[in-house]
Amino acid sequence: MSFLDSIAAGLSLVGNIESFLALFMGVAIGVIGGAIPGMSATMAVALTLPFTFAMQPITGILLLLGVYKGGIFGGSIPAILIKTPGTPASSATILDGYPMAEKGEAGRALGMALWASCTADVISNLSLILFAGWLASFALSFGPPEFFTLILFSLTIIAGVSGESLLRGALSALLGLLLATIGLDLVYGTNRFTFGDPNMMGGLNFIAVLIGLFAIPEILAMVWHPTAHVGTARSLGKNWVSFADYRRSFKSIVRGSFIGVFLGSIPGIGAAPSAFLSYSEARRTSKNKENFGKGEVEGVAASEAGNNGVAGATLIPLLALGVPGDVITAIIIGAFMIHGLQPGPMMFILNVDIIYGLFIGLIVSSVFLFLIGTVAIRGFKYVADIPKRILIPAVLVLCIYGVFAVNNNIFDVGVMFVMGWVGFMMVRYHIPAAPFLIAFILGPLLEDNFRQSMLMSGSDPSILVRGPITWFFWAMTLLTIVAIVRAGVRAVKGTSALSPKVKD
Amino acid sequence: MTQRQVQLRLGFGALLAAVFLVVYAIPAWVSSPSNVGNIILSPLFWPYALAGFTGLAGLGLVFSGLRLEDTGAAVNARSDDPTAAWLRLAGMAVIMGLTMIALPRLGMVLTSMLIFAATAFLVRTRHPVTALVCAVIIPLVLYAFFAHVAGVAIPQGNILRLP
Repeated sequence: MSFLDSIAAGLSLVGNIESFLALFMGVAIGVIGGAIPGMSATMAVALTLPFTFAMQPITGILLLLGVYKGGIFGGSIPAILIKTPGTPASSATILDGYPMAEKGEAGRALGMALWASCTADVISNLSLILFAGWLASFALSFGPPEFFTLILFSLTIIAGVSGESLLRGALSALLGLLLATIGLDLVYGTNRFTFGDPNMMGGLNFIAVLIGLFAIPEILAMVWHPTAHVGTARSLGKNWVSFADYRRSFKSIVRGSFIGVFLGSIPGIGAAPSAFLSYSEARRTSKNKENFGKGEVEGVAASEAGNNGVAGATLIPLLALGVPGDVITAIIIGAFMIHGLQPGPMMFILNVDIIYGLFIGLIVSSVFLFLIGTVAIRGFKYVADIPKRILIPAVLVLCIYGVFAVNNNIFDVGVMFVMGWVGFMMVRYHIPAAPFLIAFILGPLLEDNFRQSMLMSGSDPSILVRGPITWFFWAMTLLTIVAIVRAGVRAVKGTSALSPKVKD
Repeated sequence: MTQRQVQLRLGFGALLAAVFLVVYAIPAWVSSPSNVGNIILSPLFWPYALAGFTGLAGLGLVFSGLRLEDTGAAVNARSDDPTAAWLRLAGMAVIMGLTMIALPRLGMVLTSMLIFAATAFLVRTRHPVTALVCAVIIPLVLYAFFAHVAGVAIPQGNILRLP
């Protein structure tokens, strides 16, 4: 199928009101969800997922992608107006956004955040369209040993960079892998940790685990501290962003977008590090570097470009390799699975219409983001006024309905509650939840590819280093471990060196 | 809880979990056909490998925890009133437990109405009337969507039967 044929196939799939309405609704839900302090883009995507069950696959996935795109931008609104990032990705936006709000330039900061977000979004989407197909055609030559080493590398990097320490990330990933062993064995069909309960034989429901991990802990955190997230919103001020501001920041926006694309395409790194790297690069190279941290509009542009540049690029490993790049794409992979689709290289052959439909939808989502973002900036006051102590019970009820709807099974609601407490303990003990969830999703795939490799080779482990692709992933895995361990050792030494001074 | 305590507790917890898995859980709850000659292909191999890595991660956490200096700085922000916070958490656990009991008996709509109101009052809402109105409306709207649009068979219970 030629490129034009593929675009025509995609257009025939999404060229209807229903798809564009879903995308529009998704962006709106995402912007509102991201803008509510205490919610996040992740939670918004997780809570929207159950509503996609009844939709066509492309419509449901477009809805979720809209929520994702909108949520990342929406997080910048409370970051600038009340110094509370709506999503972790917006943390860097506070550095210059809030000082601008204090100076009465919140409207200008938010306008720049929107323009930078939309520009980065377009660049990221185009990168996805350019690279995903190329990577998928390369991945067609992967066999089980190559996929095993790829997933191992992905899990290593996710465990290493998601939290404060590699060991806690590794523990989180191992717990996720252990949880994924529940159910019938993939080869022999014997029971593993099912306790004779038929509900456990198919393994734990993925949606119950993810909503339990990402929504219920927020409810428990609210119960623990009901007056958290209370802040006063700054007024927008009279200044608005000008084209001169945009032109002056354009270089930082483009650089930040490419940083986002690069980091987003590596599984596990995510939007927050990208935003901080983009910000620090802009500060290093800017003519106004002394204004950074005091309310520099270029700083807002750089951090927003950095975090939105990730949004399209995280879909590159998801669509091309079937490996989620971050937690939100891990949730989106759930939507694919519910509709019987398996992201990966074969999808570019078997479901090329869906792939190109998604590409078209993503391009359109940048336009919707611009329109909805402009309205949302002015309407944030109403969103900030939603009482959190009514929102939280509503989220709880929505979680129950959503999880039940997957399999019409009350057992799944129980799994969600248990996972919620596990997630809350993980938050208290500073164990990152992302490696847990991604390991839970990739666990069966990792084991399956390992056992297939062993079957192919007659249990000879040398098959796992059979060619350049496996060598590459083993080398990357080792390099990642060495780099993260070295960074950890330096951090511990730094803390030890500082502590006597602190005591003095 | 300091950074050092977190690291040590996690480390010892992981070690205990690994020992429990290897000594009791895997032999008792993972079954393997007796004719599987090669351990690598056995259903037992993966759980044992993961238990081993969990033990290693636990050792690493204990080792790094012992090397950390105890600065005395708490890693989590303290709640204003820890006793009340723990009581609220216990209350939430009770609400969740009761939800599991009530769902098949009262149905999802009625149970959701009750837990909405209970949770709103547990977190001391400043808008009790709005909370009660939302407690009735939101479960009904969700029922309408999931039962009539998504086609999900929402449990009805014995008391309230909706169209």
